[in-house]
Amino acid sequence: MTTLRDLWEVSLALCLLAMAALLLLLLARVLSARLFDRTSASRRRLLPLLLDGDPAELEPLGKRELQTAADLTVEIAEMTRGSEREALLARATALGVTDLLIVQLRSGKAQSRLNAVEALSMFEGSHDHVTGALDDRNPDVRLTAALALAQHANAPAPLDIVNKLNVGAEENSLLLVSLMVDLAETDSEAVAGLLFEKDLSYRVKVAAMDALSQRGGEYAPLLAHMARDSGNEPDLQPRMFRALGRTGHPAGAEAIMEGLLSDNWTVRAAAAEAVGNTRLVAAADRLSALLNDPHYWVRYRASEALLRIGARGVSALRDASQSEDPIVRSAASKMLAEGRA
Amino acid sequence: MTFDFAIPDPAGWMVASAEAIALVVIVAGLLQIVFYFVLLLYAGAALGTRPPVARSATLWRRYSEQAPAISVLAPAFNEELTIVESTRSLLALQYPDFEVIVINDGSKDGTLARLVSEFGLEQVDRFVDRSVEHAPIRGFYASPRLPRLLVVDKENGGKADALNAGINCTRTALFCAIDADSILESDALLRVVRPFIDEPDLTIAAGGTIRIANGCKVDSGRISDIKLPRNFLALVQIVEYLRAFLMARVGLGKMQALTVISGAFGLFRRRQVVEVGGYSHGTVGEDMELVLKLHRLMREAKRDYRIDFIAEPVCWTECPDTLSVLGRQRARWQRGALECFVKHKDMLFNPRYGRIGIVGFGHILLVDVLGPLLEVLGYILVPLLWALGLLALPWLLAFLAVTFMFGVSLSIATLVLEEIQLRRFPKARELAMLAVIAVLENFGYRQLSNLWRLQGWWQFIRKQQSWGTMTRKGFSTS
Repeated sequence: MTTLRDLWEVSLALCLLAMAALLLLLLARVLSARLFDRTSASRRRLLPLLLDGDPAELEPLGKRELQTAADLTVEIAEMTRGSEREALLARATALGVTDLLIVQLRSGKAQSRLNAVEALSMFEGSHDHVTGALDDRNPDVRLTAALALAQHANAPAPLDIVNKLNVGAEENSLLLVSLMVDLAETDSEAVAGLLFEKDLSYRVKVAAMDALSQRGGEYAPLLAHMARDSGNEPDLQPRMFRALGRTGHPAGAEAIMEGLLSDNWTVRAAAAEAVGNTRLVAAADRLSALLNDPHYWVRYRASEALLRIGARGVSALRDASQSEDPIVRSAASKMLAEGRA
Repeated sequence: MTFDFAIPDPAGWMVASAEAIALVVIVAGLLQIVFYFVLLLYAGAALGTRPPVARSATLWRRYSEQAPAISVLAPAFNEELTIVESTRSLLALQYPDFEVIVINDGSKDGTLARLVSEFGLEQVDRFVDRSVEHAPIRGFYASPRLPRLLVVDKENGGKADALNAGINCTRTALFCAIDADSILESDALLRVVRPFIDEPDLTIAAGGTIRIANGCKVDSGRISDIKLPRNFLALVQIVEYLRAFLMARVGLGKMQALTVISGAFGLFRRRQVVEVGGYSHGTVGEDMELVLKLHRLMREAKRDYRIDFIAEPVCWTECPDTLSVLGRQRARWQRGALECFVKHKDMLFNPRYGRIGIVGFGHILLVDVLGPLLEVLGYILVPLLWALGLLALPWLLAFLAVTFMFGVSLSIATLVLEEIQLRRFPKARELAMLAVIAVLENFGYRQLSNLWRLQGWWQFIRKQQSWGTMTRKGFSTS
């Protein structure tokens, strides 16, 4: 019986506790509404200071208004470019915004540190602070710092950045590709060098490959070699063929033709997509043969590629649209109809 | 306190039987409560440690290059009142690469005609997959002026069937299943895609939060003013949705034991969905069943995977505000949960399915299968047995604790979590109003809700199958 009564009393206590917590939060909400009014007034006062005037004439702001100025700076900076943005950032620096952001890099909240890194990366003289954020304990903050640094010519070496990102847990994000694309803008050789690092994960290498493929045909022979060589990586190989296709370079032709004959349907589909991107007319016959592939994606990519490679492909589609095989006929005639639309 | 009809000097076996009944009801209720509090803790941990929430502009800058293309599938059945507004809102989503596929599931009203005339569509042909089964497609409609929009007109086959047709028509690796009458926040796709960007090799599905739009102002297919509805039923459902999404799904997502992603808003990797045969026909719980089938596929193949729930992305939906429509909806949901449970019962407490078998199915058993039966039994028997003098007062108090007091504290605690982590109600007054509703719902509504669930049980036993019509009024516009 005591246990049953205890249950009742515990439930009452929990109820009261939850209500008390909510009441406190409601009180906090009412108070924060007043703070919001003060912030709005502060924004109205700071806006003209940030948008116009000589930075040398500006005095550093007090603690209370600095955060509002930092928020406002980021908002406006995202909407401006060129000299207008530089002038805005110079005024923000004069008001003490960068000093606040540097302090916030040491905040206990990852959200604050991430916002500070993003904001600081806009300021020219903050390179060292952003580089320091590569050692942050939060992987999102590290990745943000890396992405920000990669946009500048004096970014750390790609291998150093990758090693810092992988501290604690491996970075798997697709944003690795954006990172590699930016790094390759400055030093594509160093990014290509990652492909030969023994201890690097395949995710980093694939990201590097994706980035290199966007630089045209320069790295096509290397990518062709890797695409052929990755037969034992069924999840990886299709992405390699797509990257190879993106180069649009004839150096990839032989590898792509081989890919069309792969036992793995995802590789056949990716190779067919690559044919479309490289306009590889010589592959027309092999593509036609893929129109009765058991997998829809292969048939779709093959028929799409035939449409993209020009007259010979269209002619092959027309022939196929008369085929006795209903699967081939359907794929060809529907793609021809899509082409006309 | 004694009643005139109390049994004088009841026999020992009568008291023992009454106590046994009360014990079963109380223990079952207590298990549910303990499980909910554990979920609340997990939800708190998930929200507290989630990656920093970036602003939309930042997300766009970050993801614009790498965000995978998404097909948004919007099945529509007799939605002529809202379809144009909903489609406009979908086309205005902020996402780098997406296509909107509206599937007209054999509507008997002017849904297709309104789409064709409003967007200037013409009949086209399209080479589509046939991997998953659905009723025949009658035609495709598109316009060169709107390359992101495709309308699929098909014979009626139900929501699952319409989604399957949409899956066959997608040409992207990911698809987002939504209800055509709901409204997505403009950056919802940018946010819900995060697990697919962070863990591209593991993530196969992700769900997002659904919020109730009743009472809100809608302008050009967007929520322009968030307000609470005046209708009591709609208010209660806001508290229910908070509990379901903020506590249960965030918590289960953190445990990697999510068993349902709402049909109103979920992002899936197409390949795995096709591998499981798409949405199942002949069930009203097709959204839950799809997630269970995905778990089964990945667990049986011993493949690593993730099914996540993101608290931020928001899809707004109109909820029923009359007892009859709400009752039908709840009975249907209950029936859907039971159908899924029975169909996949071999997963229950089966170590082969890991935490899905133990936690996920344990949750379904406790909350959906046994919950309504035992609770209704308790409402009838415990007060009666106490009035007859077969149960002492502490038994009644313990029953009230598990059915009312813990329920109230759980709902208030969810509001506290919402206020600390998300703060999505603009005014303090609204939060206070929801706190009052969280208390009131336990007196009348909760019991009614359990009766609807029993009705669902009854329909399940009698194998009733129907779409269940949802009367739409259309969103109020400013």
